[in-house]
Amino acid sequence: MLFSSIPFLYYFLPCVLITYFISPRCLKNTVLLLFSLVFYGWGEPKLVLLMVISILIGYISGLLIEKFRGTVYSKISMILGVVIAFSFLIYYKYANFFVENFGALTGISVPVLKIALPIGISFYTFQIVSYIIDVYRADTCAQKNIINLAAYIAMFPQLIAGPIVRYVDVERQLRTRVHTVDKLSLGIRRFVLGLAKKILVANALGELCDIFRETSGQSVVFAWIYGIAFSLHIYFDFSGYSDMAIGLGHMFGFNFLENFNYPYVSVSVTEFWRRWHMSLGSWFRDYLYIPLGGNRVKKRYRWFINIFIVWLATGFWHGAAWNFIIWGLMFGVLLVIEKLWLLKHFGKHKVLSRIYVLFVVMISFIIFNASSMSQAWNDIISLFGFGNLPFITTETLYYLRSYALIFIIAFIGATPFMKNSIAKIRETKSGMKIINTAEPLVLAVLLIIMTSFLVDGSFNPFLYFRF
Amino acid sequence: MNTRIKDYVQLILLSVLLFGISFWCWFKPATDFSTTERRELKQFPELSVKTLVSGKFMQTFEDYTLDQFPARDSFRTIKALTAKYVFGHLDNNDIFVTSDGMIGKHEYPLKQDQVVHAANKFKYVYNTYLKDNGGKVYLSVIPDKNAFIAEESGHLAMDYDLFFKLMQENTKDFATYIDISDLLSKDDYYLTDTHWKQECITDVADRLAEAMGTTLDKNYKLNTLEKTFAGVYYGQSALPVEKDTLNYLTSDIIDSCIIKNYETGKEMSMYDMEKANGYDLYETFLSGSVSFIVIENPQATTDKELVVFRDSFGSSLVPLLASGYKSITVIDIRYISSLKTEMPNSLQNLVDFKNKDVLFIYSTLVLNNSNTLK
Repeated sequence: MLFSSIPFLYYFLPCVLITYFISPRCLKNTVLLLFSLVFYGWGEPKLVLLMVISILIGYISGLLIEKFRGTVYSKISMILGVVIAFSFLIYYKYANFFVENFGALTGISVPVLKIALPIGISFYTFQIVSYIIDVYRADTCAQKNIINLAAYIAMFPQLIAGPIVRYVDVERQLRTRVHTVDKLSLGIRRFVLGLAKKILVANALGELCDIFRETSGQSVVFAWIYGIAFSLHIYFDFSGYSDMAIGLGHMFGFNFLENFNYPYVSVSVTEFWRRWHMSLGSWFRDYLYIPLGGNRVKKRYRWFINIFIVWLATGFWHGAAWNFIIWGLMFGVLLVIEKLWLLKHFGKHKVLSRIYVLFVVMISFIIFNASSMSQAWNDIISLFGFGNLPFITTETLYYLRSYALIFIIAFIGATPFMKNSIAKIRETKSGMKIINTAEPLVLAVLLIIMTSFLVDGSFNPFLYFRF
Repeated sequence: MNTRIKDYVQLILLSVLLFGISFWCWFKPATDFSTTERRELKQFPELSVKTLVSGKFMQTFEDYTLDQFPARDSFRTIKALTAKYVFGHLDNNDIFVTSDGMIGKHEYPLKQDQVVHAANKFKYVYNTYLKDNGGKVYLSVIPDKNAFIAEESGHLAMDYDLFFKLMQENTKDFATYIDISDLLSKDDYYLTDTHWKQECITDVADRLAEAMGTTLDKNYKLNTLEKTFAGVYYGQSALPVEKDTLNYLTSDIIDSCIIKNYETGKEMSMYDMEKANGYDLYETFLSGSVSFIVIENPQATTDKELVVFRDSFGSSLVPLLASGYKSITVIDIRYISSLKTEMPNSLQNLVDFKNKDVLFIYSTLVLNNSNTLK
């Protein structure tokens, strides 16, 4: 089920809210779990079983690790749990990729497996693995109550597109959490704003990207518009989803960590990745980069190898295709170059640094969104006039005019300008009054407008579903 | 308002909206048909273990919730207004409204393969049925209203000159082309519909008749339907725009014609007054999408007979041509196959083309999407 859908907004969400808030405290996690299973099963009824098995593996592994703590069996339990959890992910997400490439490499014709990718498997597998490892490291205790653990893993706000919530961050909240009016109000605001980012901005930019793909009126200028539009589209799509997840978390009494922090204002790619999909970055840092030795290795080349391994894994996590691997490795190369030579210069030339970040990130997202490497190559060379395209066409001008305002909104929305401006207005007493009066009205109007877009529109899947 | 009160107000306001609309969704009785969109609405899907396990229920439930959403048309209007005035989109789902209140829909780009496909389809009809029948073959292309409103209002417009040229080049071996584009302007089309107004195309009928060697009776009487006409774009645009008035022309000859609908086997009228009370008033002309009609003119002063291959634009044109012929056979090959088969309802068994002139008259909308021609 999608957050940005009528069934979720006006059927599922009111039901879960009513049931949750009338339930006694001891049953709240059970209610969350049951509704989360319905939420997940709505799109993939048969694959609920796979998620339940994955949860059981995490649960049993945790208990065994704790039972055998201090012995070799604890480590074996951890390794077994991680391997089994990852084996599901590898089978469902990567089997076809390996089969196809094995066939291409050896010339042996191997039939493609008909495997449907379970929605959100990359996210919930990472949560299960982080739980198992955290229990093994004794950063947290094993959860004895399977309902609580299952509610954490399957919790619908972050189940299918993150943020990747760590068990250690919500362990206490699973046992005891407070529900207050200000938290509910905050949650509603965050959810509505996230929904607006998705429905009003990301979807419009997504439409423009589709138009570029389908039109016979492509041009060099349109190729740039496409690159910029997709970069903004993926940001508003994904960060909008994260906002909705965090907002829903607040409504149910949880505090999920932030996942985005205005990445497009970064002055280096290194900084960009500290601000983009932060929960994934920190997951790879804590469970892959640091165990590999991180930057605390004796040889420099070893450090760079660690970086490449992490970025190969990051690219592969996003999808079982070569363009994702190239995309990940591209960032690996850029980060090594920055660490070796560029980082020290970035502070001195902020404008140039930002242009550099925006350009390389746009190129990376063109690769990311391509259906093949040849399409990515064509899209990139088109930017520089080598794609046999005219400089500009009637269609380009038409769509530029039609989407100009959306671009302006997106440019402003991708920076902290609005957030800072509102904070500034709030500093004065009268400003605070104005903001406090306007906020509920703006949110109500936004909800009505977004409903109208959903009623008029068709199915709008989230980009991050495929990961 | 302090922050604490704001939180309460926000919570109450948004909860009222969310739960209020939700309650309305759950308990609003389902409607069967949308008059503004002219389509049947999805009903509650079959709920069973089988449809739940297969996921079929969930797939169709979303369509149901969208179709049956309370105050759906009002919400669509809010969306259209927001897209136009807040986000500055030049069109909404390809629909646009010009400054003089005319609604258009992008028909873009020119699909050359489709135009050639249409020409080849006509050539097939000519080679199969018309080649040795002793009549003459004519072709005319009706420009859709985008030809007059799209470019001037800053929207995407096909290259209509290239369109007409393509059509002529690919049909010149068997058909005489009759150009009518110079007789038309945007005022000849309805504000809210794709079609042309019958009262504005008498000059088009004259041009066609003259080119085909016949003359028409021009003693028309203008009649107006009581009900206002919300054309096909009216519902699609979802914008608060002015509706049209639908006029139709009668004359002694038009009134005396005997018209047979070969789909039903029954006689019908040139202007269907039952349809005049329906949701698509344009269907008043020759009862809308009827695939095969024969019009007999008992007052004819000529033996000339005509076969018209047409789309919906022809429905309002053909009555004006009736006075120039003893009979007119009206065929719509979007609903009847032009292929030569032994089936009883095939073209060769339905129509005797001998010594009849033939006019192919189609709008650019159909020719640019000619896969619909059978």
